[in-house]
Amino acid sequence: MGSFIIRRLFISLLVLLGATFIVFVLTANAGDPRTPLYQSTDPTAKLKIASLTRNLKLNVPVVPRYFLWLGGAVQCLWGHCELGQNVNGSDVGGLLVSAMGATLRLVLFATIIAMFVGIGIGLITALRQYSGLDYTTTFLAFLFFALPVFWIAVLLKLYFAIKFNSWLESPTIPVTVTVLFALLGGLIALAVVSGGALRKLYAFAGGAAAVALICLFFDQTKWFAAPGIGVIGMIVGAALSGVVGVTLFSGFRAKQPMYAAGITAAVGVVTFFLLSGSMTDTTALILLLLLVGTLAISGGIGAAVGGLYRRQAIKVAMLTGLGCAMLIFFDHVFAAYAGYAEKVRGIVIGTIGSNTPNFTGTFWENFLDQFGHLLLPSLALMLISLATYTRYTRGSMLEVMNMDYVRTARSKGLTERTVVLRHAFRNALIPVTTIVALDFGGVIGGAIITETVFGWSGMGKLFNDALKSADNNTVMGFFLITGASIVVFNMIADIAYGFLDPRIRLS
Amino acid sequence: MSVSVGASVSPEASVSPDATELLRVENLSVGFPTDDGLVQAVRGISYVLHEREVLAIVGESGSGKSVSSMAVMGLLPKSARISGRVLYRGKDVLTMSQRHQRSLRGQNISMIFQDPMTAMNPVYTVGFQIAEAVLSHEQIPRRQAMARAEEMLALVGIPQPKQRLSAYPHEFSGGMRQRAMIAMAIVNNPDVIIADEPTTALDVTVQAQILEKLIEVKDAVNAAIVLITHDLGVVAGMADHTLVMYAGRAVEIGSTGDVFYRPRMPYTAGLLGSIPKAGDTGRLRPIKGSPPSLISLPSGCPFSPRCPLATEICHQVEPDLRPVDYPDHLAACHHWDKLAAVDDPSAYFRSESEASQ
Amino acid sequence: MKTGDEKMNSGGKPEPGLGNNVGLDAEVLAHDVADIHGLSIVARTQGQLVRRRFFRHRAAMTSLTILILLILLTYTSIGFAGIPGWWPYDYQTPGLKVNGGAPTLSVVPTWFGGGGLHLGHHPFGQDDLGRDYFALTMRGAQISIMIAFVVGLVSTMLGTVIGALAGYFRGWVEAALMRFTDMMITIPLLVIAAVVGQLINGGPLILAILLGLLTWTGLARLVRGEFLSLREKEFVESARALGASPRRIIFRHIMPNTVGIITVSATLTIAGAILLETALSYLGFGVHAPDTSLGLLISDNQAAFSTRPWLFWWPGLFIIIVALTVNFIGDGLRDAFDPRQNRGRA
Repeated sequence: MGSFIIRRLFISLLVLLGATFIVFVLTANAGDPRTPLYQSTDPTAKLKIASLTRNLKLNVPVVPRYFLWLGGAVQCLWGHCELGQNVNGSDVGGLLVSAMGATLRLVLFATIIAMFVGIGIGLITALRQYSGLDYTTTFLAFLFFALPVFWIAVLLKLYFAIKFNSWLESPTIPVTVTVLFALLGGLIALAVVSGGALRKLYAFAGGAAAVALICLFFDQTKWFAAPGIGVIGMIVGAALSGVVGVTLFSGFRAKQPMYAAGITAAVGVVTFFLLSGSMTDTTALILLLLLVGTLAISGGIGAAVGGLYRRQAIKVAMLTGLGCAMLIFFDHVFAAYAGYAEKVRGIVIGTIGSNTPNFTGTFWENFLDQFGHLLLPSLALMLISLATYTRYTRGSMLEVMNMDYVRTARSKGLTERTVVLRHAFRNALIPVTTIVALDFGGVIGGAIITETVFGWSGMGKLFNDALKSADNNTVMGFFLITGASIVVFNMIADIAYGFLDPRIRLS
Repeated sequence: MSVSVGASVSPEASVSPDATELLRVENLSVGFPTDDGLVQAVRGISYVLHEREVLAIVGESGSGKSVSSMAVMGLLPKSARISGRVLYRGKDVLTMSQRHQRSLRGQNISMIFQDPMTAMNPVYTVGFQIAEAVLSHEQIPRRQAMARAEEMLALVGIPQPKQRLSAYPHEFSGGMRQRAMIAMAIVNNPDVIIADEPTTALDVTVQAQILEKLIEVKDAVNAAIVLITHDLGVVAGMADHTLVMYAGRAVEIGSTGDVFYRPRMPYTAGLLGSIPKAGDTGRLRPIKGSPPSLISLPSGCPFSPRCPLATEICHQVEPDLRPVDYPDHLAACHHWDKLAAVDDPSAYFRSESEASQ
Repeated sequence: MKTGDEKMNSGGKPEPGLGNNVGLDAEVLAHDVADIHGLSIVARTQGQLVRRRFFRHRAAMTSLTILILLILLTYTSIGFAGIPGWWPYDYQTPGLKVNGGAPTLSVVPTWFGGGGLHLGHHPFGQDDLGRDYFALTMRGAQISIMIAFVVGLVSTMLGTVIGALAGYFRGWVEAALMRFTDMMITIPLLVIAAVVGQLINGGPLILAILLGLLTWTGLARLVRGEFLSLREKEFVESARALGASPRRIIFRHIMPNTVGIITVSATLTIAGAILLETALSYLGFGVHAPDTSLGLLISDNQAAFSTRPWLFWWPGLFIIIVALTVNFIGDGLRDAFDPRQNRGRA
């Protein structure tokens, strides 16, 4: 495996080298940064032209100029990048670092959410092939594939954000909307449940009633004006994360993991009361320590009561603990909401940039600010990845479910949960992981449109502006990072493949 | 293919059939809806399996032999339309709850599949996959289950079983994997083992070893076997009873000796005639034509288009399974008496070249 | 897409190659046997099977109908390449604003309280210069669809040839071609397309050809993989033993077996191409004024979104319809060529 990685790395570097040459030659011929100055009547234009020519080495022919650039870029290998200057004389390396931060936040958030949601939906639709849910998600996936990102981004920005922000001023839910949502909830419940007509009817009624009640609750309490988790929310949420943990890791046959989930959830609810209102401000470090503590305690609970099912119980308890921690976290975020909304004068969903300019506040308020700005661009960025992961997981799952070893697993008398999650899903994940890794490598450079629409000053915007002003060093800097990320994630995909598939691991 | 197998695994070596009834299949039918219509894969087959008995189900591919045993295991896809009864120790498997059905699978009735290359999950170790079968039916510590798995690997003749526990399926040869599959099938001491063409995908040299091992472990765990095969050589060597299937129906059933030496259904005779015999210098005698489409069966006896004995009645009336010669030897043929009248029934399938000689 | 033998007859007509005859003979034989014994076995060629499965794919057939109607509408309404269309307005002449430039299209019947079913003078409204927006949208759609299909054609041809050469010849040919493909994959498509778009600054057709020269990488990898496995098959071996030239083996024996993935990939490339072109035009690196495309229309008019949203909705709608229908057609083709995940087994 080691020599394989080194060989791959070497070839990848050569490929990247060739690609930089292509891009360099193309960009060098795509435009001249001095063009606007040639027509300028500004008396200093001549001087500026001369300094540009000197700084950007424009008097050197393209091919030697590439090698001059390469000489600087190679120094990145020992951490001392020399990527030249942009047209305004700033150092490209510095520009890239700040742009990279913003882009990574956006891309990471969008991809991680898309990954979990997409794989989850793909799994469910594969198990419910040819159901209403399957057809609906298939259609939606195709629709998302067909949506022009710039169009949906502009739509979200100019339509959704403004409407939503003005609705938040008086967040009542009209009856028609409640009915609509209830119908939708009923239909989703109907699609997920399998069985006879009566069962489906109950599912529809149950789903519709639950959604209607939630809408009524939000409407009556004006929840969106002052959101919070509340006692009931916490108890229900903790129980729910316990149920999810048991479903995923142990199943409802073994008692001990269920006890572990119950105890952890109870501890979570108690902690909720203890911490409620006590942390008005915090830092990321404190939160990280709290998270580690949560995982340690819940893991301990799982280990203590797990008995024969110790492994499963630890996992179940840790997931339950994580769920409780998230609930408590969001309770604190919600508590800061009213103050934050006042500070930004109701523009909660930001549409330009990555945060409100000159905004200062507590950790929670900053979180809200960044989250509000992140929401719409991530949504625009997510749709296609979401559709890809859903379709891919579904296809992979369907293929694996027809495999002989899944039939063998059933013939051993394993529960359907074990057959699906342990035997089918584990194998279906192998190609999906590869796709996610490749996709992630590409998406770092692919946020160009989203960033342009939302005025997010990240890598994409940097590239867009640089290309328009023939700012070749910046274009090359951008390409170096996106190209390298594609190469690196290609390798990660290969390594992940070997890690997940023992047949590859040895050879 | 390999008649010599029979010599090494003679029926006498196995424990004689006991009277207790384990599995009773009554009028089992399975259909699959497709775009072109309902495929009637199995059309009402019945048989009884006693303790420690070996029952062979023989037929061409597509005759419904695998589908019928998958129905017994409850492994058919949801779209399958199943009717009839499958009684395990008197309880109907088809109507019992999912949970109950699952607790039977792997514990009381287990299965060995045709292709050991694909029947094991490539991402888990062999030991884990065997231990998993134990853990899904018994609440015991993992380590104990692994010990059982090791014991089973030793029983099926895998050398260094302890080290082999942590090997992945792809590190095993085909024969080794099939041994591991047998270990997986017997790890819970089942009453019934359904072996679906367990040797078809293996080298000829390994086939005999696997069958021998199968009979050996069957006796070790006191199980009965339903052996599904198209290889008559295998059947002769080890089955107590033989059931011949054609176009989704049982066309002949009886003790292996009766079916082999006194076939009363031309299809059985044809099958027997198509096996090369040692010392036989003549040509092979294949049955002409191919099995009918299961969507649109011909009227009358489904074998009639290929049958040298077919008369008008065969094209119009499908014969029932009726006792011939002895009460426990049943065949579905209008003209079984014609077969009884000659010495070598397979001679009816003599090819033209032979006839002209 | 399992074995070469199954797909041998995808060409539909008998070919002199040995490999093809094997498949045909088996089929003829099955027919004869069936006839002799009075059984009715319906034997179908691979091509017939694919066609039948495709025509039964409801979403694909609906999409195909919609797409054909839409293309007819687009190209006949305002005419193309000098041929006049039936629509009274053209996309360049500014006119007086009717109805304040808002769409005069009405689809709500009078008995439902609406304005009745009629098109009016400017069903899609007018832009800020008073140009008929229906004509503009049609012009944009013409250009965008033309670009998408040209990209599909160029990239499919290029990808097939490169993949086939790499997969068939192996050795240094494969190494060189695949490293080149890797290189192209390393450059994000939007990036190189934007750079090239900026570099060329030419008409839509040139832009289309250039985009085609950039989007072939995925197909090349697919075709190479398919060739690698097919070239080891017996029918290729026998053709080689008979002394067939590599060109003949590639085009007459192996290529017909890869028709499935190539067709599907071509459709998906077309769907991707329309999104790529509109995105480029939106960013300002694609089609330039005085010509227009659906992406450029959205880019030009997004500032007017809050006051004249129809300028934004119509081109978007056309992009979605084209991309969606082409995707569904591709899905139908994939199911038709590769029915492994069909209802029968579910």
